[in-house]
Amino acid sequence: MNGVRRREVARRIFAYEFNKSTHRIQPEEDKAPVYVLTPLGMRCNRVFVVGALLDKDEIKPDSGIWRIRVADPTGAFFGYIGRFQPDALESLMEIEPPELVAIVGKVRVFERDGRLFVSLRPEYISVVDSETRDYWIYETALKTLERIRRMELKKDEDCKLAWQIYNPNLNEFRHIVKQALNSLKEEFELLEELEEVEEKRFIEEEEFERIKSKEEFEEFEEEFEFEEEEWDLSDLLSE
Amino acid sequence: MLGKNIYFKRINVVNTGDKMKEDRIKQITDQIVDLFRRSGYEVDAKEISKRLMLLIYEFKVPESEAIRTVKNWLMKELEIPREKLAIESPLVKIADITKPGQWISLKAKVVQLWDSSSPNVSQVGLIGDETGIIKFIIWAKSGKGEVEEGKSYLFRNVVTDSFQGRMQVNINRNSEIIEIDEDIKLPPREIEVIGALVAIQQNSGLIQRCKLCNRAMTKGFCPIHGKVEGYDDLRVKGVLDDGENFYEIILNEENIKSLIGMDLEKAKQIASERLDRNAVLSELKSKLLGRYLKVKGTRGGRYLIVNEVEFLKGVDKSEIEKLVEEIAA
Repeated sequence: MNGVRRREVARRIFAYEFNKSTHRIQPEEDKAPVYVLTPLGMRCNRVFVVGALLDKDEIKPDSGIWRIRVADPTGAFFGYIGRFQPDALESLMEIEPPELVAIVGKVRVFERDGRLFVSLRPEYISVVDSETRDYWIYETALKTLERIRRMELKKDEDCKLAWQIYNPNLNEFRHIVKQALNSLKEEFELLEELEEVEEKRFIEEEEFERIKSKEEFEEFEEEFEFEEEEWDLSDLLSE
Repeated sequence: MLGKNIYFKRINVVNTGDKMKEDRIKQITDQIVDLFRRSGYEVDAKEISKRLMLLIYEFKVPESEAIRTVKNWLMKELEIPREKLAIESPLVKIADITKPGQWISLKAKVVQLWDSSSPNVSQVGLIGDETGIIKFIIWAKSGKGEVEEGKSYLFRNVVTDSFQGRMQVNINRNSEIIEIDEDIKLPPREIEVIGALVAIQQNSGLIQRCKLCNRAMTKGFCPIHGKVEGYDDLRVKGVLDDGENFYEIILNEENIKSLIGMDLEKAKQIASERLDRNAVLSELKSKLLGRYLKVKGTRGGRYLIVNEVEFLKGVDKSEIEKLVEEIAA
């Protein structure tokens, strides 16, 4: 079974938890995947992210390397796309920010000024609708809460390691999840209001149409009367 | 009648007092005698029992090896060609297949045919009965007829095998494939997966299949038949990922049409308009990648066999409220 390496599952994680991840788990053997341990004790190598693409900038003119910024309700992911990600690069060229996108990508860790930072190296990037985004937020909230529960139990090795390295404030993460969910709820409420307004407008428009058609009809009647007048031959006849 | 009795002398010293042993030997002997009788040969039961006794209880040979040895000896003595003997392996259910190297018979339905990657393999895919699904291989050398997806067959005298930690059955030249007029039920293990489509593999889109064997061709070449004429087909080989597991899925023309309204005709039209068959793949990627799909399917071997697929429709406000309350609590 060791012959073929299993494909890495794409983890769901909010930008807030992602950007706080600074611990790299070194592979035990050559060519084994590198994992990043998040503050909530999850190892991840590949992630699936849905958010708003806010910027895309070529880091230097003609370098062919683009930096992107993608935001979810909790923060922003940074990513770099170069010529070694031809699929992602090709689709990125056709996307104009701001736009809702889904990204499948690998997690990279780099060091700057003695600190470790994480970024995304997208394999694919595609434009998606708001329903996809909504489900992603819901799903990611669900999975983050599950991680918080596992952290409370302090049972598995990765959770113990995360406590040791990050000593996270779980309430802070709960708050972040709530914030993300509320943004979704507000959107629904907004949508409902919008629908109500739309409905009202629709009714108004219908009314307007009716009045208009009535007017037209009246106009038509007038015209008809007018025509009748025009062609009134009574004068001629009387002559 | 069976001439040379090479083991005869030793047999006299075997303790035959054990009733259980005798019963077992008699049972196996009857099976062998019966097998040869069905092929039109009368054999000496006493002689068979003696040999079995010696091999199993004196030499401690496994039963299956002893049976094989006796059968081979009889065939040699009587000059019966292997093919003529109606060797009948026991009829088993797929869930019972746990050991490699067993000769068995199966009644099963062809669930899915895969593309064969080797010229030694004539067909490969999945068969299933009500207890499970298993991979099968028909060796090209077996010279057996082709099976069709969705049809049920009696697979007689096939050999179990283990490959990359999974069981499979191999159909060789001693096997028989007989179509049966019976619709074998598949396991009711349909699962529902909601996941994001995170990858579409390169050999997706508007592909060509070999007219002779229906395998997908690469650049006009069939892996078996070389440069042959092909016909067009539309498919997506992709990976569905729910954040915990991934599932390899294949979407056929019908699935693709139900999702994004593209059928084979439309795909061909796109390819000819843009003078590029790959344009279809780009189109599929931009419309499907990163989207959530709800798939109902059956797990079998490497793939999740798609029965139904649709785009996931957002999320309910009530579900979100439930989660928010959960956090507050």
